[in-house]
Amino acid sequence: MKRAHFIVGVAVAAAVLAVTPFLDRYVAYLVTIVAISSIGALGLNLLTGLCGQISFAQAALMGIGAYTAGNLCNAGLGLFAIPLGGLAAATASVVIGLPALRLRGLYFAIATLAAQFILEYLFKILEPLTHGISGLLIRPPTVLGFAIQDDRAYARLAVALLFLVWSGIGVLRATNLGRSFLVVRENEIVARGMGIDVARTKFWAFLLSGFIAGIAGAMSGIASRLANPEAFSFALSVDYVAMIIVGGQGTLTGPLLGAAFVTLLPEAIQRIGELFNTPSILSALREFAFGMLIILFLIFEPLGLMAVVRKLRLRLTASKPGGKSPAATTEAV
Amino acid sequence: MTYILQLVTAGLAVGSVYALIAIGIVLIYKCSGVVNFAQGAFVMMGAYLTFAASRLGLPPVLAVTLALVLMAGIGVLAERVVLRPMLKAPVVAVMMVTLGMLIMIRASCLAVWGPDPLAFPRIFPDGALELFGVFITYNYLTAGVLSILLSLGFLGFYRFTAVGLMQRCAADNPRAALAIGIHTSNQVSLAWAMSAGLAGVGGTLLATLNGLSLGLADIGLIAFPVIVLGGLTSLGGALVAGLLLGLLQSFTDGLLSPMIEDLLRAHTRIYSVGALQQVVPYALLVAVLLLRPQGIFGRKGSERL
Repeated sequence: MKRAHFIVGVAVAAAVLAVTPFLDRYVAYLVTIVAISSIGALGLNLLTGLCGQISFAQAALMGIGAYTAGNLCNAGLGLFAIPLGGLAAATASVVIGLPALRLRGLYFAIATLAAQFILEYLFKILEPLTHGISGLLIRPPTVLGFAIQDDRAYARLAVALLFLVWSGIGVLRATNLGRSFLVVRENEIVARGMGIDVARTKFWAFLLSGFIAGIAGAMSGIASRLANPEAFSFALSVDYVAMIIVGGQGTLTGPLLGAAFVTLLPEAIQRIGELFNTPSILSALREFAFGMLIILFLIFEPLGLMAVVRKLRLRLTASKPGGKSPAATTEAV
Repeated sequence: MTYILQLVTAGLAVGSVYALIAIGIVLIYKCSGVVNFAQGAFVMMGAYLTFAASRLGLPPVLAVTLALVLMAGIGVLAERVVLRPMLKAPVVAVMMVTLGMLIMIRASCLAVWGPDPLAFPRIFPDGALELFGVFITYNYLTAGVLSILLSLGFLGFYRFTAVGLMQRCAADNPRAALAIGIHTSNQVSLAWAMSAGLAGVGGTLLATLNGLSLGLADIGLIAFPVIVLGGLTSLGGALVAGLLLGLLQSFTDGLLSPMIEDLLRAHTRIYSVGALQQVVPYALLVAVLLLRPQGIFGRKGSERL
């Protein structure tokens, strides 16, 4: 990660943290859900965008994070529940990923699809841990005697976590491991030829991406004070894949744009649709727009919003004589 | 004994519909290398179209035929408009684009027909047939027999007719097919038309068994264990695997679930295994992928990795 990007990241995070105390509760809620889905999208992007393994089990992994963190939170572990939720999901991710090591592309995707449905089913029937369909109520975690139970506090916590994850991935991309992810994505045989241990590289991709998914899940469980099977269904997994496609696979900041877009689109349509006052048309409209968005992006801009941003920036700098040269901007981001 | 036979017939009836739908997915995959997640949406939409047609007063046979033709048209449209621009895209992107279609079609049906299940018109007569003490309702009987006939007819078409041969050529080696004068892109469109049409009929049959709702689209996901079990490129394999999975589900529901539930109740605090029959296919899918990734009937190396 370039220092300039890191500084921008710090500035944005600090600015958001600084304004959250003054936010309207609804806006704070939006900040929270966007931050949570950004974390989840970053996790999936690590596996799919960087290492080339598409997964439809993201929602289930987040569910494991949420249930683990929920139970630990209720047991009084406070915020330690979040990294522990991440660890549980990381373990699950490795368990799903390792047997699937010999599978690639399509077959891996179908295997993760199966994992998603099996885990979703387990959430429903393992009553003692998950409280079945009605879901597990999660008590607000306490830090130094203060309970975190305010929308603004959730927003701060989520943004702080997002910043940690984002900069962690930024650092990771510049390490040997991060680069070997890219080689494995491009061509496994070449990776082998370069002396990269493909299985070990994928192991780390599963582990780290699962950990991040677990953190996102834990945060979403804490923020909604509930973990239920419906919240971590296959549809959510599809949402996450859509986020990284819309945002731009393999980029550092693309998943954030995608997450914001996919999360806020339904909210926007909700606002517009309140004029019509018919709930079923509204949800149909929401779904329709979402499906169409995926198709349009894949056909016309497969590299996602990040490519759009890049093009805009190119156009701006090209028209400005004193601006940065196009060559300098293309390799950025 | 009678109970077992009852489970067998129910399993075969549902399994044959699975087979019909899975054959459509395999056909599209063979011809264009696309894994079509939208097949479930075609299934659902076919059922809704039949429903709409018979609402207009058409007799059942005409209603089903009309739905079939319309679905074939939608299949061609999907191929031409959505999949054609994605020819060179990576597998994953193509999968996502079909998921996008699934979401869009579902949303359209939701907008037109609403979220609540609808009473499907009676296409087959009420009543049941008694065979060796087993009662088979005409619904199950006709659905099962019809889908097996359709599947077999389809396999025969693929195997023995000139168009079927052209289809196989185009699927096997598009370049060579072009060289001998086969219009390959038309063949791909034809494959989409046929599998969407098949899916539409399958949807109508399913709706006569389970009623009409948006949930019919979920069947498209159950088809994935079927095609992996059968080998992704084998039409016959899809047929056999469909029947097997139908049986597996029916036996899980009727025999296995109660047994496991008793066991769990005795030893744990879990009181119900829920819809175990819905996840059993996926557990089987994982086992197949680990032990024999090419499926029962697929050839090694035939999977596109």
